[in-house]
Amino acid sequence: MSEKNLRASGNGNRQNRWLFPVLFAAVIALLMFLFNLVSGGAFLEMSNLRVILSHIVYPSFIAWGFCFLFACGYTDMSIGGVIVLGSFASCILGNKLGIPGVVIGGLVVGMLLIFINFLIFTYTKIPSWIAGISLAMIYEAIAVFLKMGSRTKALVTASLEKPYRVLGQLPWSLVFLAVGLVVIYFLYNRTTIGLNIRALGGNKDVAEKLGISINKTLLAVGLITGVLIGIACFLQQSYAGQTTVKTGLTSINMIFQPLAIYLLAQIIQKRINIVICVPICAFILYAVFNILTVLGVPSGTLQEAFLGLFIVIFGVIGQRKVKGVVK
Amino acid sequence: MAENILEIRGLNKHFGPTHANKNVDFTVKKGEIHGLIGENGSGKSTLLSQIAGLYRRDSGEMFVDGVPYDPANPIDANRHGISMVMQELGVVGNLPAGVNVFLGRTGQFSRFGIVNMRKMRREAQAQFEKWDLDVPPLNQMTDGMMIESRKMIELARALSVDPQLLLLDEVTQSLSLNNRRKLYELIRKFKDMGRSVIVITHDIEEMVEITDTITVLRDGAVIGSVNSQETSPDEIRMMMVGREISGDYYRADMTPTYGENVVLEVSDLTVPHELEEVSFTVHEGEILGFCGLSDSGIHAVGRAVYGLSKPTRGRVFLKANGVELTSPTTALNNNVGYVPKDRDNEALMIRASIRDNFCLPSLTELKGPVGYLRPGKLKKLAADMVDSLSVKCTGIAQTMDALSGGNKQKVNFGRWLAKDLKLLILDCPTRGVDVGVKAYIYSLMNEAKAKGIATILISDELTEVLGMADRLLVMKDGRVTRTISRGEDFTEQTVIGVMI
Amino acid sequence: MKNRKKIKVSEIVPFAAFVVLFVFFTIVSKGRMVSAYSLKMLLEQSILTIVTACGVLFVVAQGSIDLSVGVNVAMSGVIGMHIAAVTGVGWLMVPCCMLVGLLIGLLNGFLVSKCHVPSFTLSIAMLIGLRGIVNYIQTIIGIEYVPASMQFITGSACRIIAFVVIALIVAFVFEFTRVGRYSQAIGENETTARFVGVPVSRMKILAFALSGLLAGIGAVFSVATVGGTTMTMGAFLEMKVAMAIFFGGVLVTGGSSARFYKVLLGSLSITVIVYGLSLIGMSDSQISESVEGGLLLVILFITILTNRGKKGWTKDEPEPAARLKNPTE
Repeated sequence: MSEKNLRASGNGNRQNRWLFPVLFAAVIALLMFLFNLVSGGAFLEMSNLRVILSHIVYPSFIAWGFCFLFACGYTDMSIGGVIVLGSFASCILGNKLGIPGVVIGGLVVGMLLIFINFLIFTYTKIPSWIAGISLAMIYEAIAVFLKMGSRTKALVTASLEKPYRVLGQLPWSLVFLAVGLVVIYFLYNRTTIGLNIRALGGNKDVAEKLGISINKTLLAVGLITGVLIGIACFLQQSYAGQTTVKTGLTSINMIFQPLAIYLLAQIIQKRINIVICVPICAFILYAVFNILTVLGVPSGTLQEAFLGLFIVIFGVIGQRKVKGVVK
Repeated sequence: MAENILEIRGLNKHFGPTHANKNVDFTVKKGEIHGLIGENGSGKSTLLSQIAGLYRRDSGEMFVDGVPYDPANPIDANRHGISMVMQELGVVGNLPAGVNVFLGRTGQFSRFGIVNMRKMRREAQAQFEKWDLDVPPLNQMTDGMMIESRKMIELARALSVDPQLLLLDEVTQSLSLNNRRKLYELIRKFKDMGRSVIVITHDIEEMVEITDTITVLRDGAVIGSVNSQETSPDEIRMMMVGREISGDYYRADMTPTYGENVVLEVSDLTVPHELEEVSFTVHEGEILGFCGLSDSGIHAVGRAVYGLSKPTRGRVFLKANGVELTSPTTALNNNVGYVPKDRDNEALMIRASIRDNFCLPSLTELKGPVGYLRPGKLKKLAADMVDSLSVKCTGIAQTMDALSGGNKQKVNFGRWLAKDLKLLILDCPTRGVDVGVKAYIYSLMNEAKAKGIATILISDELTEVLGMADRLLVMKDGRVTRTISRGEDFTEQTVIGVMI
Repeated sequence: MKNRKKIKVSEIVPFAAFVVLFVFFTIVSKGRMVSAYSLKMLLEQSILTIVTACGVLFVVAQGSIDLSVGVNVAMSGVIGMHIAAVTGVGWLMVPCCMLVGLLIGLLNGFLVSKCHVPSFTLSIAMLIGLRGIVNYIQTIIGIEYVPASMQFITGSACRIIAFVVIALIVAFVFEFTRVGRYSQAIGENETTARFVGVPVSRMKILAFALSGLLAGIGAVFSVATVGGTTMTMGAFLEMKVAMAIFFGGVLVTGGSSARFYKVLLGSLSITVIVYGLSLIGMSDSQISESVEGGLLLVILFITILTNRGKKGWTKDEPEPAARLKNPTE
């Protein structure tokens, strides 16, 4: 059938493998240069770069989480809600126990909730994104409830004490990013479980017939995503210092930027490993936001429009050669 | 040490109402190349799948090397020295070729949880070189590769477990001549090493050539085994088709009968990688047969005529209506019908009701003012068709998935007869249906012919095309290589001579 | 074999859910649920969801999803009202709302059918991007009120009549014309639909266009209810609409499980929950939100459970077909 049309693309030409990454790097460099020019030199200032770099860390972890989630065909819309709750836990425990509390709080709640989500996705067979919406509603409600329970009724934020925020600031956050990059790279590309997860995402039938246990693999995806989202929880809390309670499904807004990063990364993953793509794409995305802010484009309104446009454009480019059924 | 590597006694397997394997007795000796042949739906793939651990048998016994054998899964079968290259399994596209060879067993290359990719690639390369196969780029993703390379990766995967018994299900059809030779060589080596191979292929000549013994299956039962040296393709074909080969269910006349008016005119039709400058005409009341190997482009002709593929050159002109068929919608609106090959995935809405399936192609004809589709009309059409085709069902609201293959095919075929057709394209209309339904479908074709409908009959079964067609086009590598009229040289020998 | 039509368990679930919810809240609220006022409130609160869901139904029937309808309501409402305010011609708001909605829908349809962008990703992108633009516009022009000449649309009688007319038209188009049938066929099996000759990409564009058009009409209903535009217009309406449709028993795969009455039932059920909770004094957003979420999960689970028998059909040919590829599921 149509498979016959598939031509071998570049028959293992070794030079070709490096051509794209080099070109890609050149384009980014050019882009940065342009940004710098447009902003009159403000863009490449150290302080500005620090702002961008410290911003990309926790969205990168969420986007990495998406890499694993999408591999088994799940779209979890409740991740925003999970992050709000995880950040709360991180904050409350952090203010009590210091840095270890920050880490434990975020990690435990993040992992636990993602794990619950996975159990629901796997066993109820409800399409993940709808189940995710329901779960997001529940998590949002819990978050409101928790905050309402405390002294001031109007207070809808939880704030972490200053000294405990170091994990979300430079240079610690970059350490997390670097370590995360290496660990996740190996996990995704060089471990049996990573390969099995990708096989499951690529072709479930083949994976199953080759003796890969579907349930075990899904469980592993749940655990890995849980850890990644857990890390994102406490990094978010440490970065921002406070978390706003979201209601009326606004928590879903929180995953849009990581989703955009993931979609961007997915498009170039054929040439550059997706795990490496994620922070790069995060950097590009936030650099664009940064330059838009510098140029006076109002944030939260027109910048969102650019984000949407980004996703559409990259979606179109990414699906360019797709022939099959797309829903 | 037993003399037989594999022995099967009284094996049965059911899929819902289908009895896929009936009391199968089957033996493979050590160092034997055993061919398994039969028509589509005769149960050969099912049999291999059970040996390879993909399905559990319902009853019967299996012995490997004299020891009772009941594989829980393919991995278990591998442990017993049995591995299989499946007909449609394929590879995982988003993983590199090297990983695909060892997928599911990558743990054996890991230390401290990290898989040693280089070692795995080396090992994969060693597998290819050991059997003298071309090494594909092992660190490239497989989804960009040609089907042939992917098949070779699957072969390497099967070989990497060092099997005593290798099962090959329709492997050669996707290979080029060069790789086929290599595969034959590999099979010979297996024999020399005292190992065994079971081969399924539709190419009877190839089978006689490379095997020692051939077992023929029909309707799930073993018809008999013959020694390849002492048999001929004709004998095997006889065994495959059975006694019904001659007689009433095909046309009795041996002269072409069709009207003068040309219904369809196809000229220079070219679809990249599928068709090369195909030209032909179909007349009123004519059955035009297409035959060739399954990758010769015969199925592509059906798709292209119905407007499903984008030709780079040439045109499909429906002379009867004076329109060019460029899309399936144009075809549908111009009295053309198409029965695709893959019933469950291309033709039917398997979870929808019988009524919806019957009515789908006729909705345009059924609509009233402002597009109103009166439910009563739809119901009547479906009920009438169920009656006239005697579809066995509990009612028109029943969903398709509950029907047997034959009844599904009646719906698939019959829904076009509810329309006033000029041209009907049939791609393997009797695939996987039993003899009774088969005969019925031929009688429907004759009725259509009598009404003056032009028919394009595409089939993998040579006897069917020979039995029904007025003229026959033989295809090879996307081109029409010969046109034969009924009564001229209308024998299998002639056709096969051109086909291969 | 009897020719009697068997009613499937899966088709009872949405009815049962509605009845159980209604009876439950009637009892708990000590009968206040069945008062004329309550019933009218129920209907009025459901109107916007139902109207918007009517359009999304076509998209869902095809197995796709349109999550941009909420922001579409906001966009078309804001622009339509602004044009009416600027020109001073009150009635212009109605056609303008519809036109803007339609254009957004057409764009969606084009990107999904011609550029093969998965509808889920696309409509999420629209949701983000258009919301940004709407917010931007609103920071400049602020909120606007229904023009004096159009005050009559704020009356509930007018809205209910308009609603009934729209619902009847959509019911007719979806249940009794080729548009609905073809949409269902695409959801059942897109390959089959294409192989038969259904104009698949045209139908996809049409479905998204209808979805957009009805969102534009929804915008009129939205401003009519509130009396003007608001900053949070249409916010998360798309989620509510999706919930209503799936709550009503439509499967995400669409196909013949997509029926018009299910949209009505699903929307009403959700309103019954929200309104019922407020009747018994639990209108706190967190409680009603979590109850909604929890109930949605339970009912979806039951719907899927009762449909499961349908999924694992027995094939007459045992070859492993390479299906199961839906990234958004």
